[in-house]
Amino acid sequence: MSAPLRRLRETPRHLLVCERSHVRHERSRHAARVRGHAYNCRVSFLIPECGVLPEPLKSVTTDMGEYYLVKNLPLHELVAQEFISAFVKTGSCYALTYNTRIDQDNTAALLPTGKLILSVDKDTYEELGLQGRPSRYSGKKVMRYIITIDLTDSAFHSDSKKYKRVLWALRDKKPLEFDFLLSWHHTGADGSTLMSYFSKHQIQAHQPKITFSTLRNLQCPVLCSNELQGKPEESCSAQELFEWLGAVFSNVELDNKSFSFVSTYCCPEPSTMMDQAYLCTITGFILPEKIIQLLDQLCAYFDEPKLAQWVTLTVHGFADSPVSWRENEHGFQKGGENLYNFVVFRSLDYWLQMAVGANDDCPP
Amino acid sequence: MRSTRELGLAKPFATRAAQPGHHYLRVSVEFPDGGVRLNAAHFKQLIVSALKELHGEVGAALPVDVLTYDEKTLSAILRVSSSGFVKLWSALTLLGSYQNRKCAFRVVQTSPFLLALSGNSRELVLD
Repeated sequence: MSAPLRRLRETPRHLLVCERSHVRHERSRHAARVRGHAYNCRVSFLIPECGVLPEPLKSVTTDMGEYYLVKNLPLHELVAQEFISAFVKTGSCYALTYNTRIDQDNTAALLPTGKLILSVDKDTYEELGLQGRPSRYSGKKVMRYIITIDLTDSAFHSDSKKYKRVLWALRDKKPLEFDFLLSWHHTGADGSTLMSYFSKHQIQAHQPKITFSTLRNLQCPVLCSNELQGKPEESCSAQELFEWLGAVFSNVELDNKSFSFVSTYCCPEPSTMMDQAYLCTITGFILPEKIIQLLDQLCAYFDEPKLAQWVTLTVHGFADSPVSWRENEHGFQKGGENLYNFVVFRSLDYWLQMAVGANDDCPP
Repeated sequence: MRSTRELGLAKPFATRAAQPGHHYLRVSVEFPDGGVRLNAAHFKQLIVSALKELHGEVGAALPVDVLTYDEKTLSAILRVSSSGFVKLWSALTLLGSYQNRKCAFRVVQTSPFLLALSGNSRELVLD
């Protein structure tokens, strides 16, 4: 095949990593995976054969915590010593720029580990004068740079040269302002202190949007927790389940015939018909700590005998976040997907599927 | 292209990294002159004619599924095999008219994962 024709058939690289383990296993990394994925915009869970949500699950769902939108916040406010000691060093503070595109605009994010990540274009990088590294996905001619500032570093105090340089760059040399999504997780003091700290700026509190629905007569694939790749005639693979879940969330017709003109998609076989399934979706700026609580409650769902064989928990990351898992750089090529999905079985075995697009490292 | 990553750890772990075989597009079609009603079959026919115009008979035979279709907003989710993704997207982009009416396709979101299309953080709007 000639080179141009071959190029027509190429697609950007993308990965779906599937893992299998047990929730109570001492070396299970499910909590670490959730904690490592800092910025989550949408969390959904699906419980087959469930008409009414149990109380503990309902209370965790309605208590996902509020988050804040601060408009036109100068970036140097996040490196102020007062902010660092009040929020970064106590508890976990999350911040992400709102309405910025990672492939076009400057973006900033504050990780709960205290690292401030700036993803800036070439001109901004040269004007700022801070040390960074070229983006891994910027090609031969570098147009994007990543600057990482460790706010919890012992050398980053108000008398140090490093601190003075950073403050000078962000406040005087090239003042940057963004709309930030902020949230703070801590045990102890009242969470409204973020609201009072930024009261001089335009700060608004938001509650995550929650929608519940019951799906009737849903065709579900049959799964076997030991068979990640599925077994012909016996169970479906993790990949087929991933696609089926996407179809359910997008209200795709699951019962097309192979000769249908419009669509030939159908539920993977073998499948069973469920009378009903409970679907809940939470949208907003959701913290990993809350997702872990939700996952624990979903595992606790099987403490009593239930009809469901498995439940799923799906988490979508922000397409424009500069990081995906931990500090792995994340980019937007034709899509900014970085999402993961848990399938928890009755036996508390689980499958974890992590999906990333082209401008992403392989998930951990 | 498939790669398997066996971690070599205690029994409970098993890992497999895989390349998906389909691509998904969330698209919508605009008719600037307005007043056009298309049902799902007409919409599919629109896509097939776009493929035929740019890629010929072989292109028109590319299996494309219209997974969802909203008649009011003229938007849909399409599924195509990964090898036909570039052909489909280029055909939709270059479609200028349908039945003598000017039209334009907008590709809103695309992903190799259907699950990714149900959550688009760029559509998160906070007042």
